Amino acid sequence: MKHTKRAKNPFSFFGCFASFAVNEKASTLRRAVIILLVSGVAAIVANLTHPNKIPWVQDWSAQVEGRAKKKNIRVVPLSVAWGSVQNGQGVFIDARPVREFEEGHIPGAVSIPLAGVDDQFETVGSLIDSGSELIVYCSNRECDDALLLAIALKTMGASDPLLFVGGFEAWEQSGGNVESGP
Amino acid sequence: MTRDQKTYRMAYWLASLIVAGVMLSGYYKILRPADFALSVYRFHLLPDVAVNLTALYLPWIETVCALCLIFVPRYRVAALWIALLLLVLFTGGIAINLMRGSAFGCGCFGSAPDAAPMSGLSIARNLALMALVGLALLSRKRAWARP
Repeated sequence: MKHTKRAKNPFSFFGCFASFAVNEKASTLRRAVIILLVSGVAAIVANLTHPNKIPWVQDWSAQVEGRAKKKNIRVVPLSVAWGSVQNGQGVFIDARPVREFEEGHIPGAVSIPLAGVDDQFETVGSLIDSGSELIVYCSNRECDDALLLAIALKTMGASDPLLFVGGFEAWEQSGGNVESGP
Repeated sequence: MTRDQKTYRMAYWLASLIVAGVMLSGYYKILRPADFALSVYRFHLLPDVAVNLTALYLPWIETVCALCLIFVPRYRVAALWIALLLLVLFTGGIAINLMRGSAFGCGCFGSAPDAAPMSGLSIARNLALMALVGLALLSRKRAWARP
């Protein structure tokens, strides 16, 4: 009986590893897809049953922040606005009606209600001339009085008015002191 | 199992657990989807139609990955790769917004009104996390390598 010795393939050792690596990559990819699918299902179920569910699609450009971006008005959060005021560079401007301002406002804020901006030309002029950063706010993230006032201030010569978008609501939520009266 | 392999396994598990812990700490994004959607919007990188969908989907990817890292060893490597991809995307988004001069926080772990704006530290933290994910993947490869 004639025995033929099978020729050894010098690459079979590495080939084994290579196929193992390919298999492992494929199974890792398959598992990654499963994770992504499970996450997707969880996200859908969670948003359908969430007490504070949000719409799947929303028109963000209609929001105050989106409109500010279109008008090149810089939007800042409380941390930046407060930092600027503390450094002595910024001054808060309250765009809400006088009655709301008198009920409570950020300490040191100047009241320039949107409705009466034309009547306060001198105050606005001196604020612009002071070179301070004008940080405009209104009630909350939904109101647009502050945005409209910031646009008006820009028209009147303010170089870069800032919109503190969280407004008085964010100030109160963060535990800031509240001043009342004129 | 050699002593080195034991060390690599330990490093793999430990790094995976830390990454999982960090991913789970963003649970607020699931509890307050509207706040997180606003954070996503403030990156100004996505079209309007994708903002809320991303804000709803991302936290669940993080959560499912974290759970896999802790409880499902077979899915750990896949979860680590996804975590790495997410970190690369987040870091890129933060870097672009830093260059643009954004004043907002990244919304990574919370959305308090007085949250600090994103900074170089946010990028450094993400790079450290990426290194940790890399360590986990490398340790896993070495721990189960044939001697």
